[in-house]
Amino acid sequence: MSFDLFLGLSPILVLVVGGSLLMLAEAFSKKAGTPESLEGDAERGPSSETALGSAIALFASAIASVAVWLYGPERLEGLAGLAPYLVLDRFTLFFCFVLALGGALATLLAGGYLPEHKLDRGEFYPLVIFSVVGAMLLAASGDLLSLFVALETMSLGVYCLTGFRRGSSRSAEASVKYFLLGSFAAAILVYGGALLYGATGHTDLAGIRDTVVAIGKGAITPPADASAQVVQAASAARGKLGVFVVGMLLVIVGLAFKVSAVPFHMWTPDAYEGAPTPATTFMAVSVKSAAFAILLRVLLGGFGDAGSMSWSSGWPPVVVALAVLTMTVGNLVAGRQESVKRMLAYSSVAHAGYILVGVAAAAKASADGQASVLFYLLTYTLSTAGAFGALVWCGSRGKEAVSYEDLAGIGKRHPAAAAVFSLFLLSLAGVPPTAGFFGKLYIVKAALGAELYVLSIVLLLNSVLAAYYYLRVMVYMYMREPAAGAPVAVPMKSGYVAAALVLSGVLVVLVGLLPGSSLEMALRAALI
Amino acid sequence: MSPATLLGMLAVGAVGAAVPRDGTTKTRISLGLVAALSLWLVVSLWSGPAPSAGVADEWPHLLTLLVFGPIVAAVAVLFIPRQSLSILRGFTYAVMGLMLVASLWLLAVPMTPGWHFQTTAEWIPAIGVRYHVAIDGISVWLVVLTTFTTPIAVFSSFGSIKTRIKELCFSFLLLQGAMIGAFVALDLFLFYVFWELMLVPMFIMIGIWGGADKIKAAIKFFLYTMAGSVLMLAAIVYLVWSHQKLTGHLSFDYLALLRVVLPKQAQMLCFWAFSIAFFIKVPMWPVHTWLPDAHVQAPTGGSVILAAVMLKLGTYAYMRFSMGLFPQQAVSFAPNLAGIAILGGIVYAALVAWKQDDIKRLIAYSSVAHLGYIMLGLFGATQAGMQGALLQMINHGISTGMLFMLVGVIYDRRHTREVAEFGGLAKVMPVYATLFVIATMASVGVPGTNGFVGEFMIIMGTYTSEALRAFAGVHTIGAAFGVILAAVYMLSVVQKTFFGPLSNPKNKGLSDISAREGLALSPLVVLVFVIGFFPSLFLDRMKDSVSLLSNHLRDVSGQLVSYTDEHQPKLLPVDSFSPAMLKGAPSFDKPQAEGASARLEPAPVGGTP
Repeated sequence: MSFDLFLGLSPILVLVVGGSLLMLAEAFSKKAGTPESLEGDAERGPSSETALGSAIALFASAIASVAVWLYGPERLEGLAGLAPYLVLDRFTLFFCFVLALGGALATLLAGGYLPEHKLDRGEFYPLVIFSVVGAMLLAASGDLLSLFVALETMSLGVYCLTGFRRGSSRSAEASVKYFLLGSFAAAILVYGGALLYGATGHTDLAGIRDTVVAIGKGAITPPADASAQVVQAASAARGKLGVFVVGMLLVIVGLAFKVSAVPFHMWTPDAYEGAPTPATTFMAVSVKSAAFAILLRVLLGGFGDAGSMSWSSGWPPVVVALAVLTMTVGNLVAGRQESVKRMLAYSSVAHAGYILVGVAAAAKASADGQASVLFYLLTYTLSTAGAFGALVWCGSRGKEAVSYEDLAGIGKRHPAAAAVFSLFLLSLAGVPPTAGFFGKLYIVKAALGAELYVLSIVLLLNSVLAAYYYLRVMVYMYMREPAAGAPVAVPMKSGYVAAALVLSGVLVVLVGLLPGSSLEMALRAALI
Repeated sequence: MSPATLLGMLAVGAVGAAVPRDGTTKTRISLGLVAALSLWLVVSLWSGPAPSAGVADEWPHLLTLLVFGPIVAAVAVLFIPRQSLSILRGFTYAVMGLMLVASLWLLAVPMTPGWHFQTTAEWIPAIGVRYHVAIDGISVWLVVLTTFTTPIAVFSSFGSIKTRIKELCFSFLLLQGAMIGAFVALDLFLFYVFWELMLVPMFIMIGIWGGADKIKAAIKFFLYTMAGSVLMLAAIVYLVWSHQKLTGHLSFDYLALLRVVLPKQAQMLCFWAFSIAFFIKVPMWPVHTWLPDAHVQAPTGGSVILAAVMLKLGTYAYMRFSMGLFPQQAVSFAPNLAGIAILGGIVYAALVAWKQDDIKRLIAYSSVAHLGYIMLGLFGATQAGMQGALLQMINHGISTGMLFMLVGVIYDRRHTREVAEFGGLAKVMPVYATLFVIATMASVGVPGTNGFVGEFMIIMGTYTSEALRAFAGVHTIGAAFGVILAAVYMLSVVQKTFFGPLSNPKNKGLSDISAREGLALSPLVVLVFVIGFFPSLFLDRMKDSVSLLSNHLRDVSGQLVSYTDEHQPKLLPVDSFSPAMLKGAPSFDKPQAEGASARLEPAPVGGTP
């Protein structure tokens, strides 16, 4: 029994233990000198061992989730006791893997970035690890209570990471903004949860769904000759249904904030820009993935009955509207950015829109739609982490790559950096045969399977819009020369960053050429 | 190879080596080599396929070599240090030469109807994608055209481009592999992958070595093509999904999807989604606006590839996919599309070309006009018209490629392409003028050159076309009028540039064409006359495949009028196709892993229950 529990929770437990140990190690270790003594030797910062340790912990967690996957979560009967608070199924395990991978890439980037930019403080890594723990719990939660706790566990770490550059007012502004808006969204989510509880008397998602089905049946207008009692019961049920719908919308809004869907995306560019780039990476990949995990779980597991999923009155039209807005606004605004980091921030907003198309498709063609979302999140994690990583690699202290102009001519000066960056940009743009292309293809396939024809055309046309600003980066890297005397980015030297880029680059190409097995895994991980 | 051929090759090689007046030993040797190889090419065309050659002689991995050879080489180039220019150049030449020789093997096999050199392998079983490549009498010519023109473009590029050679080699090799891949792919997914992959090296080529406005042109090129191809992607996925509904099997295979008959509305939308993607690439009016910019800004080598091969992908893909998958739509829209091809392409583009001051822009617009002819031949869908269109694809590659290279020659000397800057050049550059006039004659379609045969066949096919219905006569008149316009704009530029007084003093000291430039142009000159005088060498090999396609078009489109349903997709029975056409189609004997029940023939009428 307890063995089942340990094995099932091992991806999370590994991280909890690893994170605690790292925190202790960090607290008791001697500071290896003043920041000035680090000049010229970026590798030897006090945090570089911590970076390695945390990356190892995160990879171990990813391996643990693969192990549990192979062993089969269905065989672990002891896990049933955790339900409904924590549901450890293949869906959760898939996300554990993606989240751990995203976190590991972010810590590897941090291992190079933080010493280079004199932000070398060890608390970055435990924060990432505990955020990943929160994210994994979020993906696993099947109850509104555990959902909220996990969401806050994840978010608190990220708020701190956003403000990690303490000296910079930008970073502080980003952190405060993110914190305020995030708390606001959390409040909306809790309020929505309270209304759901009020309407159904349940906090667990399965219970909510079953009760709503019952209420929905009771709310049908009774025939004219029905007794007064029946009429009264029906009108009461209709009242409950009204409360339920409001609660549902509030929960969707709260989660839409976390996935940064338009019009709840306002915090994204500022927070992404202000945060140190590895933290941005972490926010863009892991936080977003976890938010999509819980969005899928709530929508399909909690609201997924015939009534609330119908196309006349349910959540799918809301998701479709959010998807169209998110894609289009994200892409249009991204095209007008002058800072590459901000462009990538808006591009991640646009990608959230593409994923929402998959969520909408999941309402009808359930397994296919969900699998497309899961697979897309995997490819998105790899390409986005890679793109931010390449941006990190292209800059060094005082010579950061911020605007497009900074990148001018880097293809000539540092061909490797430019080539890697181009690979990830092409993957984000969805040019075959990269991972990003297959992600988009599956989403389109699922959307067509769900007969969302117009939506899939909108997605495809949006990907053409997106190609414009991704190509613009390539144009600056390869086809422009920096103006005389203009500041140019000089790539940093770091084994950690290189390792992260090589890993994600290899995976992007591998998933692009042989997507079969990962797609089958995504299909098996589909909830229903 | 008979002793007589060998002797002939030696003799021709010796003559070739003796021709240049100021050549170094190296250029003499290579010119001799090119002359000897050209002779070999012609002789091997002449002898025709050996009668004994059959399926047994088809090495199945030849196409794989042709596709992935250059792509692997492109990746290998990334690991060659950028300082060692001679290694980079030599490696690129070696790979391309190998590909050229390998592709000549394709010509040694008799092109009987059906697929040759067919290879299939599972790629992504989860979504039914296979690696499926094969050629027939249509694509074999385009593959050979690719392997033939790319080395020439590379050779001329190395003459004029001196910076970032490594990137240049990488782009050319990747481009060649992707283009050949798109020509031989019979899996729609594979086709799409190559179709998109091609954009990246071309984008790099225009963007890095292009003219003053290169970045705008490169982005425009990329976005235009991508906008078309995403629509095609949606149509492909829809087609695959319908096929899955009907048979329970996921397959992207062209031969499997041939049998799917979509509902009426969907059929039309999918036809347009495919065709718009191809029309953009062709390009047909009104989506041609990316082409003049791309051509003018691209470096000479890029323009040559773009004109000679890349535009043919649009016409080839229309022929293969739009006409193959949606025969009924292709026939029913043919009169209107032919009208657009004539008015927008042949006539309008010719008039615009006439008014251009920049020679390169003029040739770019003349490309639009020429491709209008090719599309007209395809819309007419007669045996003669389609064969003429296919021949014209080769011809346009040769004559326009030649013209772009000649413009590149003068641009390298004067750094301008304005017609007004020139005049009387024939006095200082007699050889150059001669070559230019030959290319012009080929482009205009003077009898004896290659252009004449193609255009004549297309016009003949248009007149007899049933697909164009009552409009065939009008279309023929329009097309014939276009021939006159072509002569007007091409000859007027020749007259202004080469004849008359040598007024501009800057042109007085221009040197005539160098041995290197002559070397690059010579194989094209040979082919202009070989095709012009002996077109049957080419027509014979494409005849069977083209007639297979035109029969398919006629039979199936007639059958479909009554067969198409308003709402449900259907499957055509296997016996409505010639067996040769479906050779190598995926068989669904075994149910797939999901346990979907295999429902084969006869086609369930009324779609899924």
